[in-house]
Amino acid sequence: MNHHHHFVPDFETDDDYVNANTNSSSSNLPRKPIIGEEEDGDLMELLWHNGQVVLQNQRPNTKKQPLSSSAAVKLHNGAPPPPLDHNLFIQEDEMSSWLHYPLGSNDFCSDLFFPAARPPVPSSVRPPEPSSMRPPAPSPVRPPAPSSVKPPVRNFMNFSRLRGDFTGRNGRGESGPSIAKSTVRESAKVNPSATPASSAAREPDLTRRTDGADSRGAGDLGSKSAVDGGGAYTVGHNRKGKAVVTTERTSENLGASSSVASKSEIEPLETIVDERKRKEREEVGSTECRNEEAKQGRGSSSTKRSRAAEVHNLSERKRRDRINERMKALQELIPRCNKSDKASMLDEAIEYMKSLQLQIQMMSMGCGMMPMMYTSMQQYMPHMAMGMGMGVEMGMNRPTPPPPPPFMPFPNMLASQRPLPPQTRMGGYPAVQASDPSRVYGPNQQFDPNSSQAQFSGYMDPFQQFRSLHPSQPPQFQNQAASYPSSSRVSSSKESEDHGNQTTS
Amino acid sequence: MSSRRSSRSSRQSGSSRISDDQISDLVTKLQHLIPELRRRRSDKVSASKVLQETCNYIRNLHREVDDLSDRLSELLASTDDDSAEAAIIRSLLNY
Repeated sequence: MNHHHHFVPDFETDDDYVNANTNSSSSNLPRKPIIGEEEDGDLMELLWHNGQVVLQNQRPNTKKQPLSSSAAVKLHNGAPPPPLDHNLFIQEDEMSSWLHYPLGSNDFCSDLFFPAARPPVPSSVRPPEPSSMRPPAPSPVRPPAPSSVKPPVRNFMNFSRLRGDFTGRNGRGESGPSIAKSTVRESAKVNPSATPASSAAREPDLTRRTDGADSRGAGDLGSKSAVDGGGAYTVGHNRKGKAVVTTERTSENLGASSSVASKSEIEPLETIVDERKRKEREEVGSTECRNEEAKQGRGSSSTKRSRAAEVHNLSERKRRDRINERMKALQELIPRCNKSDKASMLDEAIEYMKSLQLQIQMMSMGCGMMPMMYTSMQQYMPHMAMGMGMGVEMGMNRPTPPPPPPFMPFPNMLASQRPLPPQTRMGGYPAVQASDPSRVYGPNQQFDPNSSQAQFSGYMDPFQQFRSLHPSQPPQFQNQAASYPSSSRVSSSKESEDHGNQTTS
Repeated sequence: MSSRRSSRSSRQSGSSRISDDQISDLVTKLQHLIPELRRRRSDKVSASKVLQETCNYIRNLHREVDDLSDRLSELLASTDDDSAEAAIIRSLLNY
């Protein structure tokens, strides 16, 4: 197994291998003799010699696979990338530089992890990743790659599949999307059919990102900031090096792809939990994103202040939205409400509620009284029937009401006949708590046509208004108009009496 | 009082006669109509909550009206169509 290793550095030891390779990118001759020995298939070493693959060394484990793919990549690249690390799916100079660069470096922040991902790569991409994923291959890689990247659609499909697993694992899936992204970007116009809707949306992002990525660093960030789509929000955070890859998983691939770019330089911690947060933030903070970027240069204090102000504005806006939503719901409940302004609508709501309460009171009393009426109200029946019919359905027909008040509340009539038990009279009260009508005819235990008529007009008004609106009947309307203020005054006076201490009206 | 407020606000705000005071006033009145919110003093109840309770209360009232209408209908069915009670019940139902 290791017998061949005295010729070739052990692949496990990255340093040796890297050093050896970097030093001998063009002189892998010593390894040549190994070629024949390596045929056992145990190890296939991938060596670049003068830009050509000299050897292929494949380990039984998956580590080696990337090499083969990298070799293939290398062929496409045309650049003589030394096999820096078999553990890493890299084969280029940039990778070495990437290896030595800190993670947070923005130089390699662009989406590319692997400049040219080959179809065979997808499966092999994942294994080698662990830490190497993060800094993607820098843009220099791209120039050689573009022409070579031709299976982007395929790659992307694979990567989208990978991306499906992406949230599950922290580092693994990234390579897929990042590679896909890089490939897509390289091709610039490649439209992965695998990603249905987002591809079109992504392309502008890609182009923008491509432009930005060329300058890398700030440029890349700038391009990213331009992306106000699903992934846009993460940009500001990304620059700060925070793992705010919230857009990692969007319903469309767009967000994923754009977030991949940022993710490549950030820990891919985000998962579905962050997706929810992202949605929150997105709806809340697209403006925040822009503001944040604008504030970057101004320092943290101003940022904090403006953020606090933004938060306040947002909470205020949410509160107002809630209130407006409730107003709309209320408006739907009120019949024939065509008011557009809040105050009049609230007025109508108040009156409608009063009339509803009154109606319920009447009906409940009617249900309760019916048996009693049947037994004891014989002589008053005709009057009551006529009165109620006219009173309820035709508004206030003053000329024709019978001596008994048209819409006489039962308690009054019954009271006149015989004293009612208090419960009967109070039966309706629980249903109506603060309604004027209850107060209006409550005290009216006497059989008083005049007062009851006045009161009748008073408390019939709200209901007439809602139930039998006949603006075309001037007399009634005038009566209503005339009596309405009185009822309002009555109500307000009564309310002020009872609630004066409680409310400021 | 609404008229007072509206005139005052019209003087103050010019074009719009609807002021926040007016609206809060109406909300307070609503609050007093709603049995649930009557017990709580107005300061602590938000407009949004009042509106929500109003909607719920109106729905409850509607349901009660429907129930009562059903009962009255049953009562009506049990009486003679010519009787006075029938007339009364019909008038109630025609609300």
